[in-house]
Amino acid sequence: MLPGSRSLEVARVEAVGAYTLLVLRRDGADAGVPGQFFMLQAQPEPADAYLPRALSAAWADEHELAFLLDVRGAGTTALAAAERVSLLGPLGHGFELRDGPAILVGGGIGAAILPWLVRRLPGPVTTLLGFRDQSHAVCAPLIDTDATVVLEPTYVTEPLARLLPAAGSCVYACGPDPMLQAVAALCAEHGTRCQLAMEAAMACGFGACYGCAVRVDGEWKRLCIEGPVLAAERILEPAGA
Amino acid sequence: MPDSPLATSICGIELEHPLVNGSGTLDALAAGTLGLAAFVTKTVTLHPREGNPPVRIGETPSGMVNSIGLANPGLDGFCDRHLPRLAELGVPLIVSVGGWSREEYAIAVARIGAHPAVRAIELNVSCPNVETGCISIGTEAAETRALLERCRGETDRPLLTKLSPSVADVAAIATAAAEGGSDGLVLINTVRGMAIDRATLRPLLGGGGGGLSGPAVKPAALHAIFHARAATDLPVIGMGGVSSAQDCIEFAAAGASVVAVGTALFRDPALAARIVADLPAALAGYGVSTLDDVVDRAHRRLPQALLEVDANG
Repeated sequence: MLPGSRSLEVARVEAVGAYTLLVLRRDGADAGVPGQFFMLQAQPEPADAYLPRALSAAWADEHELAFLLDVRGAGTTALAAAERVSLLGPLGHGFELRDGPAILVGGGIGAAILPWLVRRLPGPVTTLLGFRDQSHAVCAPLIDTDATVVLEPTYVTEPLARLLPAAGSCVYACGPDPMLQAVAALCAEHGTRCQLAMEAAMACGFGACYGCAVRVDGEWKRLCIEGPVLAAERILEPAGA
Repeated sequence: MPDSPLATSICGIELEHPLVNGSGTLDALAAGTLGLAAFVTKTVTLHPREGNPPVRIGETPSGMVNSIGLANPGLDGFCDRHLPRLAELGVPLIVSVGGWSREEYAIAVARIGAHPAVRAIELNVSCPNVETGCISIGTEAAETRALLERCRGETDRPLLTKLSPSVADVAAIATAAAEGGSDGLVLINTVRGMAIDRATLRPLLGGGGGGLSGPAVKPAALHAIFHARAATDLPVIGMGGVSSAQDCIEFAAAGASVVAVGTALFRDPALAARIVADLPAALAGYGVSTLDDVVDRAHRRLPQALLEVDANG
């Protein structure tokens, strides 16, 4: 039922403004689909980071599996310095890649999972990205050279609101929870189909720890089992709640 | 299977090897049984529980804290939706039960114990993530004894009592469980703990405090197992940071005849299979071939005076 762990060699690590690109040699590993996730841990296991980190790939091709990291704590610091990485996955449910025009919305490190969508979506893509400052926005061309980029205090929902309603389009979004709530509400308002990739701290990634509870369908549910990609209406509290 | 040197049994339940999971550390319906010799369910309560608000987990030195809060579908949901599927797993099934009164435990024990696939029932009297109910039962010897006495008449299945190390005298609680009719002990539950959010300096977990697990708690586990075993003679399922075959041998020496993995499974779902593969060579290093051969080794030739000094801190 559960995929086995793999140990993959780090091909290269690059600073991308405030973020860090970690590229692994794929070596035949199953990359899954955009939006699924992996549990990654530096090898040898760092003494100060007991748990693996849940990350969705920035992209995969025949030879590489890439992750964009926001290096902040012991786990991501160790990943950025590793020569080998253990990888469990792909886990969870990814994006459903739909025909027709796509609007991609990324906020902060949530933008990390969009490059693969830009490469894989069959229809025309419009990309909207929001970052806290210029150093974080350096990664934008890595995602889409034609992306519209806004910096705080402007929110990425502003350019999105100007695009909607966009008949026949599907919105694909990843970012902090308040952004996702705002995107879900906007799309609901305009009747636009929307898929969201949510983030939560996970200990295991395979339904065992119950740590990654998010509000889905009006209840606390495990993001690793339900998502991480969810239909946007599932995160809006039911009317009257 | 009986020919395998790792085959063992506890409370009449035959096990292919001595590795099981701790309650609440695996959803076998989502991930499979991962090579474990038996499956222990997450604790079931009379009524459904959504669990505590996030943040529910935090990484800590050599482990983690959790505040899940006994999220479970409730007795009806468990019996109707989960139990029929758990019965098909192909390994012995141990169901963990929690509650807020003796009556709630008794109702759950009677109903779950009547299912033919259930081989034993664990009474969780030690969850650190609820303010009342099971946690307060397991900190008092008289309450623990009374709970066992109440539940004993409800089923002929073995009753295993899950104990906390966060008590003044674990031997007294273990003794009370034995006197009340417990067939075995499971220890330890997580140790009460807290993490502070580095950015906000507020408690990290949504529930405030939580339960500490992982290698950080191993010494607390060994101590509790040692003293519970010295006080009662009940068979013990031992857990608390178990991550290797060597850990299993040390837990056995402290008194555990079966060993459970939990938090270490989160970081390595292949852990149980690896430990089982490593155990024969690790046991051979002590000149033995079965885990039973080292059970209680730590209890040999320890002067009574030393036991008392240690128990009293």
